[in-house]
Amino acid sequence: MIEANALTKWYGPVRGIEGLSFRVEPGQVVGFLGPNGAGKSTTLRILTGYMPPTSGSARIAGHDVLTASVAARSNIGYLPESTPLYLEMRVEEYLHYRGRLMGMARRRRRERIDAVCDRCGLAPVRQRTIGRLSRGNRQRVGIAQALLHEPRVLILDEPTAGLDPNQIQEVRKLIGELRGRHTIMLSTHILPEIERLADRLIVIAGGRIVAQGSPEALRRSVRRSGRVVVEVHGLAEQVAETLTVVAGVAGVETESDNGWCRALVTPREANDVREAVGRALLARGLAVREMRHETASLEAFFMQITAEQEVGVAG
Amino acid sequence: MMSEVGVEMVKRGRVAGRVRAGARGVVTIARRELAGLFYSPIAYVVLALFALGSTLFFVNEFTVGMQATLRTVYWWVVWLLMFLVPAISMRLVSEEFRGGTIEPLMTAPVSDAQVIVGKWLGAMGFVLVLLSPLLLHAAVLEMTASPDRGPILTGLIGLALVGGLYLAIGIFASATTQNQIIAFLLTVFAISLLTFGMYFLPRAAFVGPGLRQAMYYLNVNGQFEDFNKGLIDTSNFVYFVTGIGLFLFLAVKVLESRRWR
Repeated sequence: MIEANALTKWYGPVRGIEGLSFRVEPGQVVGFLGPNGAGKSTTLRILTGYMPPTSGSARIAGHDVLTASVAARSNIGYLPESTPLYLEMRVEEYLHYRGRLMGMARRRRRERIDAVCDRCGLAPVRQRTIGRLSRGNRQRVGIAQALLHEPRVLILDEPTAGLDPNQIQEVRKLIGELRGRHTIMLSTHILPEIERLADRLIVIAGGRIVAQGSPEALRRSVRRSGRVVVEVHGLAEQVAETLTVVAGVAGVETESDNGWCRALVTPREANDVREAVGRALLARGLAVREMRHETASLEAFFMQITAEQEVGVAG
Repeated sequence: MMSEVGVEMVKRGRVAGRVRAGARGVVTIARRELAGLFYSPIAYVVLALFALGSTLFFVNEFTVGMQATLRTVYWWVVWLLMFLVPAISMRLVSEEFRGGTIEPLMTAPVSDAQVIVGKWLGAMGFVLVLLSPLLLHAAVLEMTASPDRGPILTGLIGLALVGGLYLAIGIFASATTQNQIIAFLLTVFAISLLTFGMYFLPRAAFVGPGLRQAMYYLNVNGQFEDFNKGLIDTSNFVYFVTGIGLFLFLAVKVLESRRWR
């Protein structure tokens, strides 16, 4: 439903994104994740036809976003970042305007406006001026507008930015309800927000895809490649000596702490070395009080990526 | 199998459908623009200033023994439009850029040309409202004297065309910047080139006779005076229509180019 092929965008000499390729299958909910400035909005703006890529191509529902832009655009419901709206218009008036732009006939417009107002909880504020609405309600107008013409593809750029925890919960629930009706791609820089919602995550940092897959698969791969922390009762030298010879271990760092030794075990490639480490320590009669992955959560993995990007920018 | 005529009709139907869809986008944008203009306080200031200014010109001319024409009034009105139309046009595109609303607009299934033409058309509706006090003046003149209606009518048409040209220039300027003041000043500057510039430059000693002729042709006031006298021909229309078309085309190109940045 969404296809990106080696999308690259340069803003003059500044790189926005480079070589982004991914596919989103019909009906999927995809979380587009990355720290601020990673290139999320740039990518979404290319997909929605707002700006062309410097090179590469993208297709929405089979229509090329450059050569068949209007056809591609009519299949998209888009909520831009920070929800720009005409503040002087009333909610219903604005939705009618958007509906007309989408080429919807009056009757269908009326039906759909009723439907999206119900779904997004806008019924009580339909006649209010948008400029007088709260942040949360404006966001609802933005989402209602995106749903109005029943697009096959929904692209939501940070739909929960600036909302309070309750509102975030509501938006998450709404997106959950939309699952199956639309192919959804939503961006965020807050992982837990979409960890449970998304079928698939695409993580970008510094304008490149650094990881993609189901949240479960990502979690697994994070665990596999991470270092293992072991806390053992014993001398540092003894522990190091024992662990370096374990099959699959690439390196060991140790530090002593009050008779206990904390060892950081780096596995060779994607080995799960926990079992072997445990056996080796037991064989030497060393008591283990803790053994865990250093980066156990996606969150930590994500933080690590963010930190790396910042280091990259600073360097 | 479909006959050739049938195929032709389907084709024509498709083209007609596309034209209708195109027009619908333009009208949608025009309607919103016109309504949007009335939400802004600037619009009312402009309406008030125009009503006041044009009525002062009228009252000044409206005395016993004067000719029953509105020629002098209209001559002044053209100068009034030079400042008031840019005040209307300055926000047309720049505000969308400043408020970010350009993004949902340019990602809707409408072309850049539809956006520009729609905005121009909507603002043109406003210009017609703006000019409406002149009808009142004409009515007063009609009641108190027996003016020659021809030049008054063509004068009004001419003013609408001048307004349309200034608007087109204004939209072009507005598309180049997020700053409304800059859009306003650029527009006034461009209009002064077409008025003062094309008045003084052809009178300069270094200008050859061919160039001088061309410059006279480009002078807005000169073109308008033909309408004002009631002596219009195709070349006057060509001037305004191509002028409007040119600047709208440039505005579309500027809008397109902004996508690339």
